[in-house]
Amino acid sequence: MSRIGVFVCHCGENISRTVDVEQVARAAGKISGVAYACDYKYMCSDPGQNLLKKAVSEHKLDGVVVAACSPRMHEKTFRKAASAAGLNPYLCDMANIREHCSWVHEDKKLATSKASDIVKLMVERVKKGKSLAPITVPVTKRALVIGGGIAGIQAALDIADAGHQVVLVEREPSIGGHMAQLSETFPTLDCSQCIMTPKMVDVANHPNITLHTFSEVEKVEGYIGNFQVTLKHKARSVNESKCTGCGICMTKCPKKKIPNEFDQGHGLRTAIYVPFPQAVPNTPVIDRENCTMFQSGKCGVCAKVCGPGAVDYQQEDRFSVEAVGAVVVATGFKLYSIDRKPEDSPIQGYGEFGYGAIPDVIDGMTFERLASASGPTGGKILRPSDGKEPKQVVFIQCVGSRAREKGISYCSKVCCMYTAKHTMLYHHKVHDGQAYVFFMDARTPGKGYDEFWRRAVEEEEAVYIRGMVSRLYQKGEKIVVMGSDIQVGVQVEIEADLVVLATAVQAQDGADQLAQKLGISYDKYNFYSEAHAKLKPVECATAGIYLAGACQGPKDIPDTVSQASAAAAKVMTLFSKDQLERDPVVAKVNEKYCVGCLACKKVCPYGAVEEKEIRDRQGNLVKVVAYVNPGVCGGCGTCQATCPSKSVELDGYTDEQIMAMIESL
Amino acid sequence: MTPGKKRLNYSYYPGCSLHASGREYDISTRALFKALNVGLKEVPDWFCCGATPAHNVDELLSLSLCAKNLSLAEQVEGDLAVACAACFSRLKTTQHHLKEDEEKRKQVETAIAGPAALDKPVKHILEILAREFGLSKLEESVKKPLLGLKVASYYGCLLTRPPEVPELDDCEDPSIMEDILRALGAEPVKWSHRMECCGANFTLSRPGVVLKLSNAILESARLAGADCIMVACPLCHGNLDIRQKEIKDAYGAPDSTLFGNIFGSELQQGAPKDQRDLPVFYITQLAALAMGVPSGNLGFESVITDPKPLLREKQLL
Ligand code: SF4
Ligand code: SF4
Repeated sequence: MSRIGVFVCHCGENISRTVDVEQVARAAGKISGVAYACDYKYMCSDPGQNLLKKAVSEHKLDGVVVAACSPRMHEKTFRKAASAAGLNPYLCDMANIREHCSWVHEDKKLATSKASDIVKLMVERVKKGKSLAPITVPVTKRALVIGGGIAGIQAALDIADAGHQVVLVEREPSIGGHMAQLSETFPTLDCSQCIMTPKMVDVANHPNITLHTFSEVEKVEGYIGNFQVTLKHKARSVNESKCTGCGICMTKCPKKKIPNEFDQGHGLRTAIYVPFPQAVPNTPVIDRENCTMFQSGKCGVCAKVCGPGAVDYQQEDRFSVEAVGAVVVATGFKLYSIDRKPEDSPIQGYGEFGYGAIPDVIDGMTFERLASASGPTGGKILRPSDGKEPKQVVFIQCVGSRAREKGISYCSKVCCMYTAKHTMLYHHKVHDGQAYVFFMDARTPGKGYDEFWRRAVEEEEAVYIRGMVSRLYQKGEKIVVMGSDIQVGVQVEIEADLVVLATAVQAQDGADQLAQKLGISYDKYNFYSEAHAKLKPVECATAGIYLAGACQGPKDIPDTVSQASAAAAKVMTLFSKDQLERDPVVAKVNEKYCVGCLACKKVCPYGAVEEKEIRDRQGNLVKVVAYVNPGVCGGCGTCQATCPSKSVELDGYTDEQIMAMIESL
Repeated sequence: MTPGKKRLNYSYYPGCSLHASGREYDISTRALFKALNVGLKEVPDWFCCGATPAHNVDELLSLSLCAKNLSLAEQVEGDLAVACAACFSRLKTTQHHLKEDEEKRKQVETAIAGPAALDKPVKHILEILAREFGLSKLEESVKKPLLGLKVASYYGCLLTRPPEVPELDDCEDPSIMEDILRALGAEPVKWSHRMECCGANFTLSRPGVVLKLSNAILESARLAGADCIMVACPLCHGNLDIRQKEIKDAYGAPDSTLFGNIFGSELQQGAPKDQRDLPVFYITQLAALAMGVPSGNLGFESVITDPKPLLREKQLL
């Protein structure tokens, strides 16, 4: 005979406004096996929890149902309280009478009877419940960080400084990411390279960090604490251990006119190259598509001039498997391109801005390179078409951002600030020039941000025009920008020498594929989804995987660095234990009945089901059955619903429990 | 005719401009289709689609006029060929609109006492030439390539917009006219005002606006080195051809700006203005000319800006 306690919560007025909680408690008291029932204003509060604890011992309860909000919210809270009172925590369950009842109904009478039914169901389930013990798994105290931009670098350094091993993977030949491309950064105008390059060097020199550039994640297996990650090391064609970084190969390479990606295609590089002089590692790669040796078998100059003989045309892609306990994803962003839109893209093109066909219409990152001391113009603002100094520059904000009808509805967050910065940099360098900004509204939340924006407008003479640009076109040497000033209510036309578009921040290419490898979720824009927007902003729904930086959504540097450190802190918390406790609500296979059809394996979204061979004493194969790896199982129950022979069951949700719930109605 | 392939046949909705101010467009369209051996049969008893005035005044009237014309078109076999950009836009808009709005469709069908023929394919002759007849066949059919003729193709505002209605080409950067021109041997120029509005039907009510807008179009075509302009709409033709003298009077040298510039004098003043006349051709006139149709049959005599000197200079007459 069970002795169940039922605690009905008012949730302030959230529940009691629509549900007669006292009546629910009274009805619960009458269910057979219920030894105690009551209601209370806030069950989750300290007195509420005490009420529960006291009742468990006073009434010798052997099961508890808290009728309140969603288990997502407070299951842990109540299980902890029950366990403090000496009950197995898995014999404490919640009946959701808020989201599933009071919030979605209006009629008090009907809602009250529904709430009573929900309570009844849960009581029956708890009656048939079993004590469960948490599963423990070992933790590999070594982290993988994917992405070598500022987010990945910060996370890697923090984890490494805490004494743990870190593997940092970057798909480009050098770490540094977009931040290394920037000129000065807002709101302090300190030089991006000056704060970035030392960190890059720290990463390379850190005894706890293994750096793999020009490498990608190929495959991810395992689960929290125990991941096996296969990395693909793309062939650099230069032996990293032999190369001294002298750079002579680059000066001698005959292919000199390749647009440099780091300079947004405006500077030039050779076929054997490092992306920029401060690159880490300082080991070149050969761009095989542009290398004469790879294309026609002739040349070989770099191999000839290389003193240590580091150039290796035969090198092939290599694979390695890394065992790690946690993964930090920090793959960053890309900018929306103003070129003609790709065939399959859901985002409409911006033909009105010339589809990238007018050379003096550039994007924000290109302006960064023009303004950067290390850029193709040595920091002089010169326009791409003819190298002249532009005297009239028009900046257009929200190109691609906040345009639902064009396909991207979100705000790119950083453009208001970087455009303000661009106008300042321009004003500092071209004293007789005039900057105009077309904007919809200025969004400058952040410490010192609004002050910075005001400075651009009030002291640095940028003319801000509220309104959008309908189109622009080339007229001789000028670009005519046609827009409107909605505050004055007039059409505006400016003949500009240079136009800078603040194009939308988008998820990196291939972000969706990586997410699928990692088993994490992403939104329709391919940004990675956090487990909870407010309370778990750096965790993924998949345990052991954490997010840092703009791969989760547009972010500026301070936010990115904060999140990276937060992700690192989460990793360290995980690494602070030797054994990891996992929720025991996992599926178990009854090997006696399992017929080995492995239907469960096909449906399991977590990849938790494996094949297991059953052998007799002589070692002969008797049969193959399914085996659920408890470390990986997410407890979703899909296998249970699928299994034709009813041989797999989720602990805590056994068929017997579910039947009991149904029968109680 | 290639064996095994059916000859192309179209029903034809000329619209009232093509029977009045834009006669040359009608004449040349018929001549061109004949030269290409493509059938064109006029819809019997068609009437004005209401073009722009009707839908500004009474939406139901405008939709009903078009729906009635569409149902008349059902009597003639073949997809419906339309030459006028405004008629094309109205007919397509009606189909689009009534397909989405059940309520409206019922009202309209009551008004016209019959079904609205929402699935009758409506095709602009640009589509027919470039896609259905085909660019390569067009190129093969050319007898007199328009060599050395620099043409500014003018799409105007209706042909491609809004993109989900005409579904003709990329709405911001179309290329169908240029493609056809290339097939004809002419040289399309790159210019900025291909998609700008000419003022269209403000031609009577706000002529000042039309002068401003049309001037900007002509100026930009000249700047790009065009010898002439090619259009696919009788309204555009009207504004750009008939008004050239007026525009010259109003916007002679020195240079002026389109809307005025609130930031003062960025624009250089006083540059001598290029005042060349720019003949304005219909697409069908140029295409028919290239197919070897005698120029006397293309209505060149009834336009204001005489194209003959240019055609003579390029040895196309
Ligand atoms: S020449 Fe050899 S050692 Fe020097 S940078 Fe090139 S590959 Fe490295
Ligand atoms: S419960 Fe879900 S996650 Fe666990 S093995 Fe079954 S299907 Fe996979």
